[in-house]
Amino acid sequence: MAKTDLFFKKNLDSSVLFICILVSFSLIFSNSNEKIQSFRSNSLDTFSFLYKPFDWLDDQLFLIRKLEVLSQENLKLNLENQILESNKIENERLRALLKFRKRNELNLIGADILSKGVNSNMSSVLLDRGLVDEIENNSAVLSSRGVVGKVIFVSKNHSGVQLISDVNFRLSVKIVPSETEGIMRWIDNDICEIAEVQTTSDVQIGDVVLTSNLSIYFPPNLPVGEVISVFKKSSSSNKTVRMKLFADLSTLNQLFIVGKDL
Amino acid sequence: MNFNFSKYLFIAIILQLAFAELLTFNGFQPNIMLLFIILSSIPMESTSRATVIGFVIGLFSDLVLFNGFYLGLSSLIFSVCAYFASQVSFNFAYRNFDLYWLSLVLLGTGLYSFFRYDFFFFNDIVLFLKNWFFVFVYTSFIGFIITRIFKVKQSVLEDA
Repeated sequence: MAKTDLFFKKNLDSSVLFICILVSFSLIFSNSNEKIQSFRSNSLDTFSFLYKPFDWLDDQLFLIRKLEVLSQENLKLNLENQILESNKIENERLRALLKFRKRNELNLIGADILSKGVNSNMSSVLLDRGLVDEIENNSAVLSSRGVVGKVIFVSKNHSGVQLISDVNFRLSVKIVPSETEGIMRWIDNDICEIAEVQTTSDVQIGDVVLTSNLSIYFPPNLPVGEVISVFKKSSSSNKTVRMKLFADLSTLNQLFIVGKDL
Repeated sequence: MNFNFSKYLFIAIILQLAFAELLTFNGFQPNIMLLFIILSSIPMESTSRATVIGFVIGLFSDLVLFNGFYLGLSSLIFSVCAYFASQVSFNFAYRNFDLYWLSLVLLGTGLYSFFRYDFFFFNDIVLFLKNWFFVFVYTSFIGFIITRIFKVKQSVLEDA
């Protein structure tokens, strides 16, 4: 015992560092523990007032720019909507003729970004919706243009979202019209890569990328991006597809969480 | 004690939140809390005290400042950086002040990048280095401005 005491006294600094590293690693490896998650959620709920002034300032400073972007998007969507309306009527009539099952409407819950995360590179955001708004873990999160991420933790009034730009994010997608399936991961800025694409598949530049029917958490056919290049890596027997995200991750403001079915 | 720890901690938190909300550049933002830990640990005589402070502030960053989703990552990095920062001798810090804190920022951002871009580290080293480089450059740039505005070198060395 005396020897251990002496050892710790002689190597106090190194021992303290060792203990700190040990505790940190045990925290990192127990991130999915329920107690730790709830402790974390409670801390975020308690201290969320810290973000409010900056969130307000952000709104004030970039309000005109945000309005411009929204107006442009609104106009674009209005034009698209007119075309889609006529297609919808035709599509519904044909589905009824073929006796297809009726598709569920998505229950979208609007949310404001409270914080973009205090970390060197944005890969998660904090939203002002939580358990009281019936948000659940792993729900899909969209911007007005397309998929941006998924909910990774929920507290009473807030929820954390893992963005597509996180290197550990993977999404099962399909490329239309060829209906080719693949696994998408982020590469750089708004560029992503789809791996595991069959060599025989007919994928063209400009094809649209949607969420696939195979995903457990993401509803099918949500817009994700557009194909910009197709190539074959020497190390892989499959094709690799590069795509550009529809959503602009650098200008995220309001997001939509896909809630429980209506 | 010239280097008023609480005052500068408060300023660091405000700056970090301001950068996080308003001044992200292409998704990147400087790590002000890391800068604060490095600069505040240099004058500390007790290395163990600096390490524990680094650990506690790292935990605070992870819990309160919404630091992504690895709880414990900042406490790990801050305690390592604080440990090395407090080990510097006065003469070395006097002559190589900028070089010293820059090396520790490089170490800190490197550790952050390793955990965040571990997939790139093992699969695409160029992308990994690119991400590390941008975070390091942005943090260092802001660090240079902060050290000049707050005359950090004088404060730190007076305290040492």
